[in-house]
Amino acid sequence: MNKVKEKSKTINLNLLNHDKCKSWDYLQDICMTCSICSSSCPVSGVDDFDPRKMVRMVSLGFEDELIQSRWPWICTMCGKCESVCPMGIDIPGIARKVRSLRDRDKVPGILHKGLSMALKTGNNLGLPDEDFIFIIEDVAEEIAEEPGFENFKAPIDKKGANLLTTIHNKLVNTHTEDLKHWWKIFYVAKEDWTVPSKNWEGTSWGLFTGDDNAMKKMAGRVADHMKQLEVKNLLWPE
Amino acid sequence: MERMIDQNVIILGGGITGLTAASELAHLGYHVEIIEKSESIGGHAVRLTCKATEKCVKCGACKVDEKIQIAHSHININIHMGCTLTGIKNGERISVYYRNQQDRKSSSNAEAVIIATGFHPFNPETKPYGYDRFKNVITSLELEKRIKEHNDIKKPSDLTPPEKIAFVQCVGSRDSSLNHLWCSKICCPSSLRMAHLIQTKQPGADISFFYIDFQNCGKDYQQFQTTIHKNFRTIRAIPGDILQTKNNHLEVSFFDPVDHKAKEEIFDLVVLSVGITPNQGNRDLSEKLGINLTEFGFFDTHNQTGMTSKAGIFAAGTACHPMGIEESLSSGIKTAFRVVEYLKNGK
Ligand SMILES: Cc1cc2nc3c(=O)[nH]c(=O)nc-3n(C[C@H](O)[C@H](O)[C@H](O)COP(=O)(O)OP(=O)(O)OC[C@H]3O[C@@H](n4cnc5c(N)ncnc54)[C@H](O)[C@@H]3O)c2cc1C
Ligand code: SF4
Ligand code: SF4
Ligand code: SF4
Ligand code: SF4
Repeated sequence: MNKVKEKSKTINLNLLNHDKCKSWDYLQDICMTCSICSSSCPVSGVDDFDPRKMVRMVSLGFEDELIQSRWPWICTMCGKCESVCPMGIDIPGIARKVRSLRDRDKVPGILHKGLSMALKTGNNLGLPDEDFIFIIEDVAEEIAEEPGFENFKAPIDKKGANLLTTIHNKLVNTHTEDLKHWWKIFYVAKEDWTVPSKNWEGTSWGLFTGDDNAMKKMAGRVADHMKQLEVKNLLWPE
Repeated sequence: MERMIDQNVIILGGGITGLTAASELAHLGYHVEIIEKSESIGGHAVRLTCKATEKCVKCGACKVDEKIQIAHSHININIHMGCTLTGIKNGERISVYYRNQQDRKSSSNAEAVIIATGFHPFNPETKPYGYDRFKNVITSLELEKRIKEHNDIKKPSDLTPPEKIAFVQCVGSRDSSLNHLWCSKICCPSSLRMAHLIQTKQPGADISFFYIDFQNCGKDYQQFQTTIHKNFRTIRAIPGDILQTKNNHLEVSFFDPVDHKAKEEIFDLVVLSVGITPNQGNRDLSEKLGINLTEFGFFDTHNQTGMTSKAGIFAAGTACHPMGIEESLSSGIKTAFRVVEYLKNGK
């Protein structure tokens, strides 16, 4: 109790400016403070975060305080709060908007690094193309050693294939085993599929950092692949 | 000798609103016919318990008894129980057609009609609180009924007294996802009085309120607030969900805004304070009468006259919007006077 009181003292009420976030269109001003969002949120209580507080801060115009705060970054953007909110307030939208207003070099480390790397090199890890192809072929060879999959190959940059898939960087880093399950399904289902040799990253962390331009760029790369390889269907697992 | 005026008013619905309007009109000499859907009159108010502790707490529930008595005994009032409206025709007078449960058709002519068909208590099945699945999650109306009929509080699972009780406020009210944007007005005062009653009957009962804000607690709001927070644990958050654990206990998940922690706490009875919603039959009835409903599904009485979009057809009480017994009484009286004005000014 005392701890909380002390903390709230640090908010300077003279800074309260209702005009500040007025133009934001997440319905924040019709919040009636019921707290179902906070009672349902999986990360409520982490570092004292809860979604109701975030919504109220936006409604009251505490924009700068929120931008500086860790709270919007604790949100996982799962959307549970929005689905239970009786007023239909777009709470994850608010979290994303606040994140978008932070200077890019102040975006939390891993997200910032991963996204900059992806924009620069085509994947969050900065994995060189040769290494990527080596890993893909290596995993394909391991599958080919299993009974029933003798002729298995991973088709890279196959023009005119039926299905293009992107790759989550984790799957060519620590979780290569997980590639096998769906590739094996492709094989058995006789799917005509392919994977790009460059810009294969399937995650798009602009979603989490509130960076629309980055998202556009990542999506544009996938669209380019489809055009160049003349592929009509896309599987984009995150 | 009662005065008799040769004009007839038909009242649809014999709840507190309809009965009040009926008794006013009857006293003034008008002839009144009440068409009541169920087999008894009094509406929801007769199901509510007296919440007096050391003294009367002015909940209003007993007011209906007097009205029922008048309706049964007044020579100018005629009651048709178990009857529903089948149609109306506008001619020289308004002809109202109805039939009883044995499908016997009847009709009456009148100069005016008052719709007083009341409300529907919100059914909380769709809320994540396990209502209808967990025995010890009940509505406030079910709690009223239990106390009224047995004069005690028992858990439905094993009929023993509950030790730890939670009230969840605003269930089905103030909810745009349900298109219920209103505050139901009755559930704060009613549930708080109920909680006081429980503590009187069962000293030591541990009662928590999950709430948004306490509304409509009357003129002595400040004092009301003070006693609320002194007598009960009040948590300014509506729970996210309720799960059932062993022995039919209930695990309530909520965010505690005081210490900023997400919590799961065990209760042995949860009471959902359900709100006032429009009757499902309103649409059908409005079509038969050729009148409008509001965007929320209540009867629309425009421009303060109590009259609907059709001349001679009035609406009153919770058929129009949420209100408590006191307001229903005054709505019944006001509407009766408007009907009189309308009839006197020559329609
Ligand atoms: C849980 C709960 C607790 C409450 N506690 C309190 C309290 O403590 N204090 C308080 O002041 N208020 C309380 N209320 C509110 C109170 O019940 C209402 O204000 C009051 O009953 C409204 O009266 P009414 O006549 O408008 O409607 P109703 O009581 O609903 O009566 C309507 C009548 O019309 C009949 N009817 C319906 N449709 C038709 C039809 N098509 N044709 C013919 N007849 C029809 C019904 O059978 C019924 O008899 C509570 C409500 C609830 C749900
Ligand atoms: S659930 Fe919606 S209305 Fe309720 S406190 Fe959260 S944002 Fe506000
Ligand atoms: S979207 Fe964020 S704030 Fe909403 S429930 Fe998920 S984690 Fe909580
Ligand atoms: S008003 Fe309510 S508390 Fe008072 S006597 Fe009547 S029923 Fe009981
Ligand atoms: S009276 Fe109280 S419980 Fe009922 S809807 Fe209004 S605020 Fe909610």
